[in-house]
Amino acid sequence: MTNFVAEQRFREIVLPLLDDAYSLARWLSQSPTDAEDIVQDAALRALQALSGVSVDRPKPWFLAIVRNAAMTFMARNRGKTLAYAGDMADLDALDLRQGDEVAPNPEQEFIAHEDGERLRQAIASLPSPFLETLVMRDVNGLSYREIAEATDTPVGTVMSRLARARATLAKTLRGEP
Amino acid sequence: MTDRETSERLLRLNAAVDGELDAMASLEFERAMRADPALAAEYRRLGALRDAVRRHAPREAAPRALADRVAALVPSASQTAAQAVVPFPRRTWLDRRALALAASLAVLGFAVGVGLTSLRPSSGSGEVAQRLVADFARAEIAGQPFDVASSDRHTVKPWLADRTTVSANIVDLAPEGFPLAGGRIAIVERIPAPTLVYRHNEHLVAVTELPAAGGARAGVGLETVDGYNVARWSGANLAYVAVSDMDEKTLAEFVEAFRRAQASSASEPPAR
Repeated sequence: MTNFVAEQRFREIVLPLLDDAYSLARWLSQSPTDAEDIVQDAALRALQALSGVSVDRPKPWFLAIVRNAAMTFMARNRGKTLAYAGDMADLDALDLRQGDEVAPNPEQEFIAHEDGERLRQAIASLPSPFLETLVMRDVNGLSYREIAEATDTPVGTVMSRLARARATLAKTLRGEP
Repeated sequence: MTDRETSERLLRLNAAVDGELDAMASLEFERAMRADPALAAEYRRLGALRDAVRRHAPREAAPRALADRVAALVPSASQTAAQAVVPFPRRTWLDRRALALAASLAVLGFAVGVGLTSLRPSSGSGEVAQRLVADFARAEIAGQPFDVASSDRHTVKPWLADRTTVSANIVDLAPEGFPLAGGRIAIVERIPAPTLVYRHNEHLVAVTELPAAGGARAGVGLETVDGYNVARWSGANLAYVAVSDMDEKTLAEFVEAFRRAQASSASEPPAR
């Protein structure tokens, strides 16, 4: 049931977050047109949900819906689910010693980072759990707690995923395999 | 350095870059960086990476067509995205179109919750309207138009009598097309007042009974408050306020039926 209270909440909560929603959907689906479908689906779900709940923190709430809509969309239209093979001991899998071995050279890295297309490709090729965590943090600007809420994940896992996502990006940008 | 220490160090670095350390942890981290140039270098590298991500993967604007389609999900919203993202004035949602939509969607448990909380003549209709909106939203969010849902006035009456100082005179208006839906309590100037909710098709009308302030007045006052029709009248001991999402004509018919039924029932009970 929709009603005009839900519609008013929708205007206050969802409409101002469309850019965030679209950006997240675009990164998750890696397709501008799919992102539009995902956001529209998410908006519908949000409107339906808003007749039954009040929302304390709109941004993680709506981005969680966008994320779920993206997962549904990918499963339905691409015959695959986003890679959510558990937490796969996120940090254990991370090569933690790389930082000690690479000589700090911020200038050189800065130049490498200026190669935007390479950086975007590196982000896009991150496994989904790391991709969504990084995008929610650096594109959407969510706090760790908000990411934990939006992804239904413990904060510790969010932290390790983010650390791993960035370490992987740094590695890629250094041209390591 | 053990794996665990390495891992903690990395998490702390990221948290520092993201501003997620609390004050004490930040202090500790700054001290650690001064003592450990390698840590400081890592911090700078990570910050540069974070900045590069933000620069090259910025938040993108949703395409206009998408924004228009999403805004169109809520019909009374402005149809252009540019306007839709501007916060709406608080009470725009009570415009006529929204109300027409609400009425068309109204089912039991939806359009309710209308307790006037101030009935002083000095109360501007704006103030009353605001309270109406607040009450309406509360009742709607709670999904509970009544505290006691019953079409049986012999159930509703004792329930209300236990909780209020005004004895509700519940009349049976089912033959007139306004069956009783339930009862609830409205708080008016800190006094609990019985409110009877009647139904008419998909619409509801809530009649709140109050101690009459200034004796009986002839006639029925009808007004529109933010699109809701409100009727006021008074008897010897009680004043009545009916708020409804019905149209004015139907509300007038309801009030007429209500007053007729009360007059023909036992004389109006005195306020206790």
